[in-house]
Amino acid sequence: MEKMIYSILSVKSNKEKLNDLLVNIKGITGAGLYQLSFDEITVVVSDMSRASLIIGKSTVIEYAGVIETLSQQFTLLPMRFGSLMESNEAIIHMLEKNYPDIQQNILKVENKHEFGLKVFCDSGKLMTELRVKSEADGKTPTKPDIEIKNSIFRDWVNQKLKEHRQEVLLVTYVDSVIGEIAEQLDQLKAISKIKKMVTPTTIVDGVFLLDKALKDELIHAVGELQAKYPTLNFIMTGPWPPYNFTNFTIK
Amino acid sequence: MNENKILFNTGSFDGISEEIGKLTSNVEESRLKLTPDNADSGLAKLVLTLVELIRKLVEKQAMRRVDGGSLTDDEIERLGETLMKLDLKMEELKKHFNLTDRDLNINLGPLGDLM
Repeated sequence: MEKMIYSILSVKSNKEKLNDLLVNIKGITGAGLYQLSFDEITVVVSDMSRASLIIGKSTVIEYAGVIETLSQQFTLLPMRFGSLMESNEAIIHMLEKNYPDIQQNILKVENKHEFGLKVFCDSGKLMTELRVKSEADGKTPTKPDIEIKNSIFRDWVNQKLKEHRQEVLLVTYVDSVIGEIAEQLDQLKAISKIKKMVTPTTIVDGVFLLDKALKDELIHAVGELQAKYPTLNFIMTGPWPPYNFTNFTIK
Repeated sequence: MNENKILFNTGSFDGISEEIGKLTSNVEESRLKLTPDNADSGLAKLVLTLVELIRKLVEKQAMRRVDGGSLTDDEIERLGETLMKLDLKMEELKKHFNLTDRDLNINLGPLGDLM
């Protein structure tokens, strides 16, 4: 039977505390959880036959639930769903071989939590506002630059030019919002990964790694951003295990 | 998403769920699903996606140049004709292979959507 790995933890002198916690939680399909250690690093695993592993939403949620519970009390590196190894010996050998990388990653996320920030907008309304403001500021010509003659090709170019100018306006605006977010996060010394324009309505999709103690400051900073941009909808979630800030390849 | 994981929101929980749902469904719908049974249409989708990406890049660059004012009237006329014909040809190919604009926007996992 294979071993399903949930997380790599920095337990140090708290092995008993982890044991007490594992007694009260179950792995996927109700499997019992136990720990395997190498030096200061511990992994939480359960027995799991590869053939019996059913990949579905409920199993993934169960898996994430274990990681979530552990992350509330320990610094950990969450493993990807479906991380199976052949035996306990193979896991300990893996820990030994990857010890420096694992330690480095644990150090990076120690006493930190991940938070998510999404910024939604009503794209039609936002575009209209930006266009009106830009025209009022004289930054965007109200008419295309190209003289309209009796040509379908010119009409086509004019239409595309109009769309291009709107896109430039939107991207400039989103960049300014991201700039403000980055400025606030810099003050909190957060590490961030931000994607823009994920969909027409999701203009910012970011994740931040931040000291646990600074959660309230982050909420306050997001509140200030929301007040500055009332037409946008800022949504902050967390705390999450550091899913987006664990970066090592098992050798 | 669990409601108690939301630390800041001025909208409704249902509104968020709807938006997150859109993000997830976009990922599901835009995956390239190549199987032995659909190799032909899967390949057509992949090729047309790349063609569409290049066409859009060319179009964007052209609009930058038009907006920059560096093209003459004749050049704009010819550019319009070329881009419009490319656009129409692309529509024809999409129709032929029964593909929509959404089909040609492949999801690249952590990198997001292609276009």
